Amino acid sequence: MDRRLLENRRRAIAGYLFISPWLIGFLTLTLLPILGVVYLSFTKYDIFTAPQWIGLGNFVRMFTGDPRYWKSVGATFYFAIVSVPLKLFFALMVAMILNAPHRGLDFYRAVYYTPSILGTSVAVAVMWREIFGFDGLINALLANIGIRSEMAWLGDPRTAVWTLILLVIWQFGSPMLIFLAGLKQIPDELYESAHIDGARGVRKFFWITLPLLSPVIFFNLVMQIIFGLTVFTQPFIITQGGPLDTTNFYALYLYRRAFETFQMGYGAAMALVLLLVVAFFTGIVFKSSSLWVFYESKEGKA
Amino acid sequence: MKRTVTAILLVLFVAGMVFASGEPEGEGSDSLRVMWWGSQNRHERTIETLELYEANNDGLEVTYEFAGWTDYWTKLTTMAAGRNLPDVIQQDYAYLTEWQSRGLIQPLDPFVDSGLFDFSDVADANLAGGRIDGQLYGVNLGVNSQCMVLDVARFEEAGVPLPDDDWTWSEFEEIVLKLHEETGVFGFGAGLLGEQLWKSLYLADGSWAFNDDGTALGYEDDSVFIEYIEMVLRLQEAGAIPHISREASDYANGDNLEMQPIIPGDAAMASMWSNQLTAMWTAAGGPEERDFVMVMLPRLEQGRPGHYIKPSMFFAISRDAQNPDEAARFIDFVTNDLGANQILLAERGVPIADAVRDDLTTRVGRPQEVVFEFMSRVGADSSPIPAPDPVGYTDLIQNVYFPVVRDGVRFGEYTPSEATEILRERAAEILGAAN
Amino acid sequence: MSSSVLSMRTRRRFREVVFHVLVFSFGVVMLYPLLWLAGSSFKPSTEIWTTVSNIVPRTFTVAHYINGWRGFGGVSFATFYRNSFLYAGLGTLASVATSAFVAFGFARVRFPGRNIWFGCMLATLMLPVQIQIIPQYILFTQLRWVNTFWPLILPRALGQAGQAFFIFMIVQFIRGIPIELDEAASIDGLGRFGIFNRIVMPLVKPALVTSGIFSFYWTWADFLTPLIYLNDPRLYTVSVALRAFADPSGQTDWGAIFAMSFLSLVPVLIVFVIFQKQIVEGISTSGLKG
Repeated sequence: MDRRLLENRRRAIAGYLFISPWLIGFLTLTLLPILGVVYLSFTKYDIFTAPQWIGLGNFVRMFTGDPRYWKSVGATFYFAIVSVPLKLFFALMVAMILNAPHRGLDFYRAVYYTPSILGTSVAVAVMWREIFGFDGLINALLANIGIRSEMAWLGDPRTAVWTLILLVIWQFGSPMLIFLAGLKQIPDELYESAHIDGARGVRKFFWITLPLLSPVIFFNLVMQIIFGLTVFTQPFIITQGGPLDTTNFYALYLYRRAFETFQMGYGAAMALVLLLVVAFFTGIVFKSSSLWVFYESKEGKA
Repeated sequence: MKRTVTAILLVLFVAGMVFASGEPEGEGSDSLRVMWWGSQNRHERTIETLELYEANNDGLEVTYEFAGWTDYWTKLTTMAAGRNLPDVIQQDYAYLTEWQSRGLIQPLDPFVDSGLFDFSDVADANLAGGRIDGQLYGVNLGVNSQCMVLDVARFEEAGVPLPDDDWTWSEFEEIVLKLHEETGVFGFGAGLLGEQLWKSLYLADGSWAFNDDGTALGYEDDSVFIEYIEMVLRLQEAGAIPHISREASDYANGDNLEMQPIIPGDAAMASMWSNQLTAMWTAAGGPEERDFVMVMLPRLEQGRPGHYIKPSMFFAISRDAQNPDEAARFIDFVTNDLGANQILLAERGVPIADAVRDDLTTRVGRPQEVVFEFMSRVGADSSPIPAPDPVGYTDLIQNVYFPVVRDGVRFGEYTPSEATEILRERAAEILGAAN
Repeated sequence: MSSSVLSMRTRRRFREVVFHVLVFSFGVVMLYPLLWLAGSSFKPSTEIWTTVSNIVPRTFTVAHYINGWRGFGGVSFATFYRNSFLYAGLGTLASVATSAFVAFGFARVRFPGRNIWFGCMLATLMLPVQIQIIPQYILFTQLRWVNTFWPLILPRALGQAGQAFFIFMIVQFIRGIPIELDEAASIDGLGRFGIFNRIVMPLVKPALVTSGIFSFYWTWADFLTPLIYLNDPRLYTVSVALRAFADPSGQTDWGAIFAMSFLSLVPVLIVFVIFQKQIVEGISTSGLKG
């Protein structure tokens, strides 16, 4: 009895010791600004003068008096629902392909990773216009095969969001690399013994690769949901939310309210709601994980 | 216990936000801190000027910060929240009231009275743009005005004579159509429903976009604007100007100078600010390859000129200035000193002091010569500058004008009269609440 | 018999060729923007916006590299690169070390409050950074950290500023390692730190290297933090300096932007090429078995 108590205490101390760098950072550097955001969400704050308490005013206005808000919510969900699965699918496929034994893989991996490091460059904005503009590459290619396109893909409300979806899918480098690292952690012996048992390509994938990769798939899924719902950079540098607000995604709209029109309180309220919504969806994925994520170690018993 | 600590920290933090009293950076009375936005050319010239100023003033320590346009405002806004603004900051006409109304920039008249500013060589019209309620808050760094830029080669190709400064919008429409028919390129480029042209339209009509208190629109008659929008729609329909979707995709809504279709020769006309001509001309191939002419904006029938002399940008002294006198002395140096301006070379716009302007006329290149000449024409024939844009202006433009008027109408989401009605209602709401 | 060997070899070679053709042509799509960027950076200013769709410049010039590298007012890109290397280098080292340490705690030690703290950690990723700028700036001003490298490095060293991503990732990789290994090591007399250091760390090397690659790139590309906290141009990083060429309402030095953007990708690519080998060489050989 006492020994268990002692062991529990030791474990608690060890645990807190290990997470202490993060915990200290969280309590000193992050928590205060976050509480600041929470406080500001109940105020009218124009950044320059002291915040005034207005209770739930920002939230009421957001939910009932701002049609652009709901349009932005819709656009964000659309973007995330389409782009997250596609991006993960491509990342996993390419990681599998680049994991097979071939020559020149180092080179290909670098090539496939390149779009991701171009991600935040201003040059990307210019390039994307060059590709999806009226005078762009896509229309030129279509003209080559005899289709005369009058579309300005990036400026048309029907297609603009798709150009951004393509952009983030094209930048699948980071989940790809994580999948690659995950694939490398699967012991070759497992494949070998499965091979002896008669398993081939697709079966190996479903019997061994998927289950053993599931912790990493889970990680990528959670992170991409978070990134998808809080996407900012791509619409900010390329479409600035247009045309007709079809790419005015949540985090972008929030930023523009807060910084460009000095409604920091409103922006903080928006951020808080975003936090809750993202946490809700992440929570669902976490809850579901016991059904499909397979861990070698159920729990840290040590 | 934990809860108490959290509560204390929260209180301290909120107190910090309310009274935010960060340690300012200035190193005492012998320092000057300046910040501006721009690109490499401006950074280089401004830094060189600051070095000259430092050399002229023994014991003065000059520090400076610079950024591109977007980053500048993010950073300046953040600094304002931290009470850490530099002594001298560059300001824009669109933001001046927002900053002034919140006490972030100092009134400059005391420095005029104390003789630190010498404006004896400056026409009053050139200072007027920096005044709010009769007080001077920003010193104009260059006079500027809207203009139409015409590609001479396209006009010759189409056999259309170059218009005069007093042309009208209906002549404009004919010319755009004719240019398009004869040459195949757009008669006019991007941004024909830009907010600036809307405001100029009502200036030409004898009123202004906003009323004197800045609480609502300043005109009763929407029909002027509706007719204008209908003209834009007709031109879009005829293909004589780019469709709005193409404007958004290929020409960045006309917001990015280098992406104006006049540059690669895809349009015969463009509207811009006069101080943008040099950069545009360079991007288009320079004076050796292309020839451009500036004329004033078209007018309404029997209307006044829709032009006013607008400060291209200001230097202002911030609330947090450690050393306002030194800041004022520096701004005066930039305004009046020939040596300083020979370095700056009118990059921010045509200088406001007469002697400086005369001195530079012979020193600048061809594009700037055109600008100098154009500005003297505007100076002789313009409307007095209206009051700076009211507080809440950015909100109105970003959240109403762009989505509803500029894009909404041209994408067919709203009719012109619906759009102008929404603009009127929301303007009263937003500006009324802010002022 | 020899013919069947031959045909097998031919078939294998054929499959190899198909593989390369497919992967390479798709690779061109991936690489196109980079080629475009490189091409544009060698065009004279007058050509950039008049022949935008051409990749190959009509007239070839290195003027943008020379002009761009010069920087602003005597502070050249040499300085900006030095700062960026300092920032990204230190930031990455600190971030990977901390993340691994913290991740071990979350993944392998069951302590009271673990799930709550883990949730808090993930929540920090869900609040847009833009909204935290102002409160954080006020806090850091009071700590007198403005115009120092502290706000850039310390939050990373303490697992903040998006580092939760790495902690979570390494947690997932650690949980993929059989717990029996820990138990065996524990019986051999290894303490928790020993298990962390000698057993678990070598096994999650791919995850650590991946974290390192990302961390380097994210720190390298981060412009918001340096922009807000560094005032002295001599402290600017490459990412901040790059953006100081752009003034959409006036003149934007696109040539210099393209040239310096292209150049700024080089270190990131080099880091990737060197370290990705470490991922793929991996640990498959080290006898890990479920």
